[in-house]
Amino acid sequence: MNYENFRRIEERAFYALVGIFGLIVLVGAGAWHYMEEHGHIVTGMSNQIVWGLPHVFAIFLIVAASGVLNVASIGSVFGKTVYKARAPLSGLLALAMLGGGLAVLMLDLGRSDRLIVAMTHFNPTSIFAWNIVLYSGFFSIVAVYLWTMMERRMNVYSKYAGFAAFIWRLILTTGTGSIFGFLVARQAYDSALLAPMFIVMSFSYGLAVFIVVQSVMFRWNGMKLDPAVLRRMKNLLAVFVSAVLYFTLVYHMTNLYFAKQTDFERFILLDGGIYTSMFWLGQIAVGSVIPLAILFHPQLSMRCNAVFPAAMMIIFGGFCQLYVFIIGGQAFPLNLFPGMEATSSFFDGRMPHPYTPSLPELLLGLGGIGITALIATIAVRVLQFLPQDDFSHLAKAENITD
Amino acid sequence: MIQSRRNFLRALPAITAGAALAPAPAIASAPGEDGGKHRWAMVVDVQKCIGCQACTVSCIMENAVPENSFRTIVSTYEVHQGGHSGTYMLPRLCNHCDQPPCIPVCPVGATFQRKDGVVVVDGDRCVGCAYCVQACPYDARFINHETGKADKCTFCAQRVDAGLLPACVETCVGGARIFGDLNDPNSKIRHLVDQNKMKVLKPEMGTQPHVFYLGLDERFQGRVDGAGTLWQPSGHGA
Repeated sequence: MNYENFRRIEERAFYALVGIFGLIVLVGAGAWHYMEEHGHIVTGMSNQIVWGLPHVFAIFLIVAASGVLNVASIGSVFGKTVYKARAPLSGLLALAMLGGGLAVLMLDLGRSDRLIVAMTHFNPTSIFAWNIVLYSGFFSIVAVYLWTMMERRMNVYSKYAGFAAFIWRLILTTGTGSIFGFLVARQAYDSALLAPMFIVMSFSYGLAVFIVVQSVMFRWNGMKLDPAVLRRMKNLLAVFVSAVLYFTLVYHMTNLYFAKQTDFERFILLDGGIYTSMFWLGQIAVGSVIPLAILFHPQLSMRCNAVFPAAMMIIFGGFCQLYVFIIGGQAFPLNLFPGMEATSSFFDGRMPHPYTPSLPELLLGLGGIGITALIATIAVRVLQFLPQDDFSHLAKAENITD
Repeated sequence: MIQSRRNFLRALPAITAGAALAPAPAIASAPGEDGGKHRWAMVVDVQKCIGCQACTVSCIMENAVPENSFRTIVSTYEVHQGGHSGTYMLPRLCNHCDQPPCIPVCPVGATFQRKDGVVVVDGDRCVGCAYCVQACPYDARFINHETGKADKCTFCAQRVDAGLLPACVETCVGGARIFGDLNDPNSKIRHLVDQNKMKVLKPEMGTQPHVFYLGLDERFQGRVDGAGTLWQPSGHGA
């Protein structure tokens, strides 16, 4: 294919992608408008399950936004050449995903029209309020980081900006995990383990998203990914997925150790219906064990078309994990009378609290992904975000480190 | 004159509702926000509750609570334990705790505690994030789907400030709900709290609830329960 033909196809692909993602954003905006007009009563959410499917999308995007910056951090902070070339794309994705996640989170508020109130009133005792500061700070620091990477005169400051971004994102994910960790009233959430667990989850989700986006972008632009790069990334991904599995195991084992938590653990691991299925099939089997088998398989793992589905499965597993954690955690009723099997005439005795996601909730969540994809697609086209690998340099690095 | 007529008209719905019901124990006149003079609390005498839900209905009427949402309920629990079954009725509402976990979590400071102990939500500031709903260990809060804001029992602050009793107290058929000022040594609630062994829900949470239960079965009081899974004390020299 000559250059002109390729350019024409690439241009068409760009406008097609912008059209598709733009449509998804519009549909998401329509879903938000519908929920805003009628209230949350038209969704699957209730007085007991107040954080529904949009929160799963939002938290996934926010956690993955922090994790996707890991690629840049490995390049800037730890000096790995292979990852340095990927740092701009990593930074861009971090901003785009945080933007998409926060949009969903904000539009799912009971009063999304009060954004200014949320930005101008700050309660220092609330971890939720601190997260608003952390998100705003993340935007600023990553924007500066991108500037130092892309402006030649500022390159000298890139390492410092990268280090600041690395520290900030660790604090940010600690904050996100602590939103749940500080909820002493809920059996599913009240755990100091959640902060480090969310950090590890961010590593895994973020790198999986990066691998997927990188593969799609390379294909769109007719570029070839070096096998050495792929090998490094898939090895790292396997380590992160294993770490998430380890933290999941410790989280549940810790709960099982506490007598008061055994009912909740029985609910998630054995009797929870959809939540139990999503845990074992979605998170553990499809989201962890099968991808690990692919990533550690000597032949399979070296094929680009095997790593891509493994990364997709990890993303799917991440959604399942957050669905079980966020919604399953609320579906298990507050235990007002420990040690008794109680059924009540009101909502409080129902086990589990019912929740069926509604279409508007799903569309709002997808709208967040649409925002992310739209920002990334336009930015990659307009600016130089795609990794430009120096293959000779790669070979040298390969010989030194491996 | 104009001012007093306006105040009278504002208080008219509350006055009408109050006059229509049986005479209730008097509370201090025009208490309002009083610089900590009062500490409002409620005692629920479980043995007098007949589960008629009059309190639930009057609360809905007084506070325009939307469909399928409740600021107070009387849950009828069918409890099974050790092969025995029983039915218990338990009125539930916001506990107006001294250490309310819903206040520190609110990102915009919309939830606050008045000096008289009543925990309320500033409707002009609440953004409806529902973090307070998650933080309440008593399931006493919800997001009002008509206003999009956090909602809960306020001890009918609008009535209390006008010198009236909360709607649920005034309408209770069995007189199971007793409301008053704990700071008043001569109040009925002060005597009840001093002379009886009161129980609260989930005392282990350290929230210091100000809804006290009289006659609550020991087994209903919060405690840590369950069976250890990984380590059995009986197998350790017991």
